[in-house]
Amino acid sequence: MSDLRSLVRRRGSLLLSALLLCALPFYLDAFWLRIGLFSMAAAIGAVGLGLLSGTAGQLSLGHAFFLATGAYGYVWLAGEPGPGLPPAVAAVLAVLLAGAAGGLFSPVAGRVKGIYLGVATLALVFLGHHVLLTADSVTGGFNGRSVPPLEAGGFAFADSGPRLTVLGVPFGAEERLWYLGLALFALTCFTARGLLRGRPGRALAALRDSETAASVMGVHVARYRSAAFVVSSMYAGLAGVLLALSFRRVVPDYFSLALSVDYLAMIVIGGLGSVAGASAGAVFVTALPLLMTRYADQLPLVATPGSGDGAIGPTEASRYLYGAAIVVILLRAPDGLSGLAGRARARLRRRPPVTGPPGAASDSESSEESGASGASGASDDSDDSDPSARAKEHTP
Amino acid sequence: MSAPAPAPAAAPPALEVRGVSVRFAGLLALDDVSFTVAPGTVHAVIGPNGAGKSTCFNVLSGLYRPTAGTVRLGAARLTRLAPHRIATLGVARTFQNIVTTGGTVADNLMLGRHALSRAGFTATALRLPSAVREQRAHLARAREIAELTGLGNHFDTPVTLLPYGDRKRVELARALCLEPRVLLLDEPVAGMNAAERARTAEVVRDVRARLGLSVVLVEHDMGLVMRLADEVTVLDFGRVVAHGTPDEVRRDPEVLRAYLGTGTGTATATTAVTKEDAT
Ligand SMILES: Nc1ncnc2c1ncn2[C@@H]1O[C@H](COP(=O)(O)OP(=O)(O)OP(=O)(O)O)[C@@H](O)[C@H]1O
Ligand SMILES: [Mg+2]
Repeated sequence: MSDLRSLVRRRGSLLLSALLLCALPFYLDAFWLRIGLFSMAAAIGAVGLGLLSGTAGQLSLGHAFFLATGAYGYVWLAGEPGPGLPPAVAAVLAVLLAGAAGGLFSPVAGRVKGIYLGVATLALVFLGHHVLLTADSVTGGFNGRSVPPLEAGGFAFADSGPRLTVLGVPFGAEERLWYLGLALFALTCFTARGLLRGRPGRALAALRDSETAASVMGVHVARYRSAAFVVSSMYAGLAGVLLALSFRRVVPDYFSLALSVDYLAMIVIGGLGSVAGASAGAVFVTALPLLMTRYADQLPLVATPGSGDGAIGPTEASRYLYGAAIVVILLRAPDGLSGLAGRARARLRRRPPVTGPPGAASDSESSEESGASGASGASDDSDDSDPSARAKEHTP
Repeated sequence: MSAPAPAPAAAPPALEVRGVSVRFAGLLALDDVSFTVAPGTVHAVIGPNGAGKSTCFNVLSGLYRPTAGTVRLGAARLTRLAPHRIATLGVARTFQNIVTTGGTVADNLMLGRHALSRAGFTATALRLPSAVREQRAHLARAREIAELTGLGNHFDTPVTLLPYGDRKRVELARALCLEPRVLLLDEPVAGMNAAERARTAEVVRDVRARLGLSVVLVEHDMGLVMRLADEVTVLDFGRVVAHGTPDEVRRDPEVLRAYLGTGTGTATATTAVTKEDAT
């Protein structure tokens, strides 16, 4: 019976957060939608990395490479120069391409274990960056390429095409992409949770905990290690496609080692091995620099972009901040945000519910909310400055 | 499709160990060891500490490749196969030092069902009906095995929260989840109290009778060995020093020497063995 009630409660909160997320484009301006969009893309990538590093215990510093494969794969496949495929087909193929790239690496990914794989994958990032810079005809070189908008059935996820107004709110690129991002994020959560709770997830977790036990129980060690790598690459590819669509331009310098490290930070902050945790970590790591850039003038010690007065730039400042967050988490709560949330929830359940602060027990999607609910209040101060200027923080 | 219920008790093929040697940098851990586990019997492998019993299990389950010799299960030559292939042939084992994986008892037991289930990454990620159905069927069987081994109440408990004896039993249950034809038990009752020992012995006897599997048992508890085993092989310094029924082995002077160093104290050893036997 309590089972049933918790099921209803969980379904209910899932539905509620889904509704809330769907309603946000009606209240938020493009700047906040962008933050949400980048966060959703990052969350997809982080869930993939979480599967590899958190569940299977394989360190990867090559995530940026697979994000780039997805992003550039889409741009090339859908664009000119390139085969100029229908964008939806190109998006699917880009994800498969990232998976195939992960598969090519499987002789290494299947045999090399844990932290050593991290070192091996380091090479991928540098290789990838080099190729992005030099293969001009495909990647556009240093200046990158502009991203063809996604179109499906005559509907474009961009400002182009017929104007769209829903309930009096004009739907531009951000609003449209928001729903695409939500759908892809939901797909990611659905599939990743299914994997984790099913046979493959259990085999991967067993591999992480004891390769010996896993192998004598019938788990093909090398095959599962490389499969984890391929799956994680595919999520990275999907994240790459969404990132490309959100940025509207892809440039090589974005896909650097720092990006790989950002993704590791996401899953450590969120808590290894949990889909909700990876998503929460992704929101934190993604939103922080964007918010700090925007509010740089109100923050002590942080320079406004372009002022060049010797103080720390907002991006660096946010790196310091989440570096500190990682240290605190490793010391105080090694299971990350998801572990903290789980414990808070357990405590709330044990005590009479009045004492608990409402909403302390967060769920996977509420992490998305928290990034955005703080947003809804702030968005009222009618900010009409060009939001794309903010995003350029990410695309140098 | 693949019925998760136990297969009808078709007698497992014989497990033949022939001339197996294992060398670790100068140390001959197993020296030309041969024995045969007859189908459906409990075969004990005993010997003092460091005799090579666990090394022998590591060869049987494919974790170590022997320097010489072969192990056959029926027509299959195990010494050529990787551990996961040996598992799919129906050879399951437990470890002397508990090797459970994270998660709940259910998670561990479901790992035992791995070799018997099919669902791959795509089917599981998309939660296809076939994968969901398979998982449900195997979960039901895992719960049955948990009940059988006395873990029914702990099915959803994280393994790390269980006391030692229960964790040891999780390993036994996980091995049983493979529906093995040959079950390798490395000191299954070490560190257990008398009641837990009796319970584990009961389970082993029960599954052997019901499922007709062969059991290879490494155990220092002579009482348990004498009660359960049909045949005993005694190892000392990697060599087989005696072989026979429990009664034969108990009287073998070689065995007494192996356990006690010299021929002295023969009477004590015999009485110790018989006393344990009586309990
Ligand atoms: N991986 C290894 N590398 C080197 N030496 C090993 C290794 N494994 C076992 N040995 C050695 O081989 C010998 C046999 O060890 P084994 O663990 O098989 O003994 P055992 O009969 O299981 O003893 P116990 O009753 O203490 O469990 C010991 O001397 C041990 O130190
Ligand atoms: Mg041993």
